[in-house]
Amino acid sequence: MSSLFDLPFEEPEPQAAIPAPEPPARRILTISQLTSQVRLALEGQFAEVWVEGEISNCRLWNTGHLYFTLKDAGAQIKAVMFRSTLRYLRFKPQDGLRVVARGRISVYDPKGEYQLVCEHLEPEGLGARQLAFDQLKARLTREGLFATEHKRALPTLPRKIGVVTSLDGAAIRDIVKVLRRRYANAHIVIRPTRVQGDGASLEIARAVTAIGRVRGVDVVIVGRGGGSIEDLWSFNEEVVARAIAGCPVPVISAVGHESDVTIADFVADLRAPTPSAAAELVVARKDDFVAGIDRLTRRLNAGMDARLHRLAARLRSSEARPGFRGFTTHLAWHGRRAADLTHDLRTAFGVGVAARERRYRALQLKLEALDVRRQFQRIRTRLVSADTRLRSVIVSRQHRAQNRFERAAARLDSLSPLGVLGRGYAVCWNHERTAIVRTAAAVSPGDRVHVTLHEGELTCDVVTPSTRRPQGST
Amino acid sequence: MDPTIKDFEAAIAELDTIVKKLEDGDLSLETSLQLYERGIHLSRFCHARLEDAERRVEILNERGELKPAPPGLGDDDAESRPRR
Repeated sequence: MSSLFDLPFEEPEPQAAIPAPEPPARRILTISQLTSQVRLALEGQFAEVWVEGEISNCRLWNTGHLYFTLKDAGAQIKAVMFRSTLRYLRFKPQDGLRVVARGRISVYDPKGEYQLVCEHLEPEGLGARQLAFDQLKARLTREGLFATEHKRALPTLPRKIGVVTSLDGAAIRDIVKVLRRRYANAHIVIRPTRVQGDGASLEIARAVTAIGRVRGVDVVIVGRGGGSIEDLWSFNEEVVARAIAGCPVPVISAVGHESDVTIADFVADLRAPTPSAAAELVVARKDDFVAGIDRLTRRLNAGMDARLHRLAARLRSSEARPGFRGFTTHLAWHGRRAADLTHDLRTAFGVGVAARERRYRALQLKLEALDVRRQFQRIRTRLVSADTRLRSVIVSRQHRAQNRFERAAARLDSLSPLGVLGRGYAVCWNHERTAIVRTAAAVSPGDRVHVTLHEGELTCDVVTPSTRRPQGST
Repeated sequence: MDPTIKDFEAAIAELDTIVKKLEDGDLSLETSLQLYERGIHLSRFCHARLEDAERRVEILNERGELKPAPPGLGDDDAESRPRR
């Protein structure tokens, strides 16, 4: 006790030997003024410090602020962490925990105390982990494991969804629940695994590999719910990263919360912020699929309908052509007209008609008409087998088109020279069917001609033009 | 299933292409009908495929066997009832 008292009296002694400089004007401060100056000095110099120590006297006040003491073997400092920064902590500070703190020194005037206002706190040893994390990340980046071009697209509609996670956590329940809601008949295959603790990373890696080989599984979700950074650490291990990269099907990572980013997230084909989000990403709502397909089907029907509409318009325009100029008009003209109309019809039905087919034979008109009717029949059969929902619309359009065609065909029939042929007359064409042979002088011996009868046709070679009996040779 | 359709994605993509062709292209009726028929076929395939998946939760165990998941895995149904 006495030594304590003695000390101040002894210490000034040597100083007293030094001649005191001109004594400054005596200026007396109030406590407040002094404290204020101390505060300025301390807060100015220690605006940001990093300090390590052990937590003690840790107490969370009901204001939400955390008060504790940081100490080492020789000293201690009071510390506070305010609620606003406290909520970003990924671990729970407690007595005896060694931490690294970042903060500023603040002076509390009413009590004449100074304290460390912590802005960041991390368990000691995290630094080493962070280093390992950064190094692994850099190495795998160099290897190209995170490269965008390696990211595989998820299947639009997965057949079986693989899930690698713990059966104990909330994660698996969230995933199943969300999947059921979005896609009631989803088929889920779970490979249970530990997701934290020693050896968990190896288990996760094996599980990813195993589930990727299950038949029908075409996408895998790997992850776990939220936890401390230590809890999530398995997902930062290289073995997990390798397993994800080597998985034959796309992998979605879902580790912890939005703010937790692990190596697994970098290497996965898609990173989901949470397990529930992974379930949302893995498959669209079934309703959306149904709506999408229905939309396409409606457009399909509308497109077909428009096409049939055009066919009807074409038939109308064929009909509207100037009428025939009476029966006195040449047979060739009729043939030509018939060919035109038939050509239109054939084009309408998509049967390629070569230009030479335009030189059309009058007698084939009927056959063509039959042929076209057969086509209509075929089309109708097809339409009947097609979507029943729109069938009636299409059939009615087709009906109108067919009626129109039949009217046109009937009109042609009535104007046709076939009636004359029916009475026993025949028409003789030149070989090219470009002209009707009207005089014997028009052909020479050896020429080929075609003779159109009421039913059928003859191909004949001319023997003697002057002879009145042509010799059939077919 | 249909050997001419690779999978759901391919079916949707083809259906989309067909619809665009029908809407834009100047096609013959014959071609249109063929496309239309194919389109309807694809549409049905997609709808069927949506119903295709079996509502199941299975567990892949250490030995690589698939077992029905224990009841209560977020699934309120009697999901553990094995089918087939």
